[in-house]
Amino acid sequence: MAQSIYKLVDDLPAKSMTTRMLGALDWVVPGEWKNIVGFENTIRAVTGETDQTRIQRIGERAIHLFNDKSQGYQSAIWLYQTVDSVQKLGGMAAFTNKLSTSFGFLKFLGRITPKSDTTQAVDFGIKTVTEIVAFCKINGIPGDSVGQFVESLADYRHEALMRMAALISVDGLLPLGPEFLDKTLSLLDKTGAGALEGNAAFQKIRSMIPGGNTADQMKFIQKGVGETKNWMGSFVQKHGLTPDKIVSNLRGKISGLDGKLDYVAAVIDMSTNYYEHTGVQSVARSLISRAAAEI
Amino acid sequence: MYIKQVLGAAALLAVLGTAMLGCRQETSRWEAADKATRGAQDAVSEQAVAGSVFNQFFPKQEGEYDLVFKQEKQGFAQASLQQDSKELAVLSVMDTRSNPAARDKYSNAAESIAGYPLVEAGERTHALLVADRFQVQIQSVDPAFGASSRRDWLVKFNLAGIAEIE
Repeated sequence: MAQSIYKLVDDLPAKSMTTRMLGALDWVVPGEWKNIVGFENTIRAVTGETDQTRIQRIGERAIHLFNDKSQGYQSAIWLYQTVDSVQKLGGMAAFTNKLSTSFGFLKFLGRITPKSDTTQAVDFGIKTVTEIVAFCKINGIPGDSVGQFVESLADYRHEALMRMAALISVDGLLPLGPEFLDKTLSLLDKTGAGALEGNAAFQKIRSMIPGGNTADQMKFIQKGVGETKNWMGSFVQKHGLTPDKIVSNLRGKISGLDGKLDYVAAVIDMSTNYYEHTGVQSVARSLISRAAAEI
Repeated sequence: MYIKQVLGAAALLAVLGTAMLGCRQETSRWEAADKATRGAQDAVSEQAVAGSVFNQFFPKQEGEYDLVFKQEKQGFAQASLQQDSKELAVLSVMDTRSNPAARDKYSNAAESIAGYPLVEAGERTHALLVADRFQVQIQSVDPAFGASSRRDWLVKFNLAGIAEIE
């Protein structure tokens, strides 16, 4: 049984490691993300309503729409939650792999854990595709509409734009460096379907990714990253994003982020759930905005 | 002395009572609606038309205004009206077959546009009921896009076209 949408939104933390991390990225997309928590607060923020009778009606219609699985909102939330919770294990693998290259006695771990760059590249690809599929579910378009998704990126706002800024920053630039897009594409090309089969997040969400088999699904992920590359690349340029700039802003807000960039990325990966947090906020926004038009 | 003890005990009870009240979880105002629709498959009527049917009847792009289509679900289509990338309002058409109660508010409508009843629903919203079935609505996002702008833009929908949808 799916969780209740009002509880998911009511339970969003006002302050957490995730909100501090997102706060530290505010300079990238100034003012776009406000940490709106609570179902009623979200209704007020999205619709501007103050009348309690209307707020109640909008909330009730939103709950009804959410509870009807065919409307796609449940699947979108599930995707955001799943990819985040499972990728924490990915972060662990990246960390273990780093340890194995630093300490000789752990070298054997290098054989059983994936290279961290490959893990990061696959995770990045899966997160990108998760966004595409969730976008399609929320907006009611076919799940493989990469072109429509890419077009709509220009109109991404609020928590959705912040989610993309965080994806680029902490899952792209930090672990993989300034060439993260080309690097991801070439690593995906090199590892092929095998790396997907071994990825826990992929195993969980594979039924939602377009493609009849793992090889096709890998092609879809490559297409997803390939077609969003231009938008992401210009986003990096436009905002002057560099790994050093990102990490110094993060260190200003979160203590204990010492060490090399890829360690910082692994720590962030393990201790935050920004996809889930902002994903719940995005789904709630779309749902409430529709409900307000249907009462 | 006795009175003091009684007062003390009463005060203690009052404190304990307040503390217990604090511990009891409040029932959410949303719980009943959630329970009533858990596992629902009826949020949208099977008789509602596909949302894609509505798109052609939205106002056309003009001048410095942009119309960006958003959600398109059965019985519902929504677009964002923008000027220089700034969101002014959310425009939508909805088939009230999915939520007939939405029609109730029009029964006392004092105004109309093109013969269709018009209501100001909430502080930022104007809505029309076309052909007793389709709710055409504009909700301001930018407070500067006020009531008169909403009326102006409602007229830009192809209302006659919407009225002819089967």
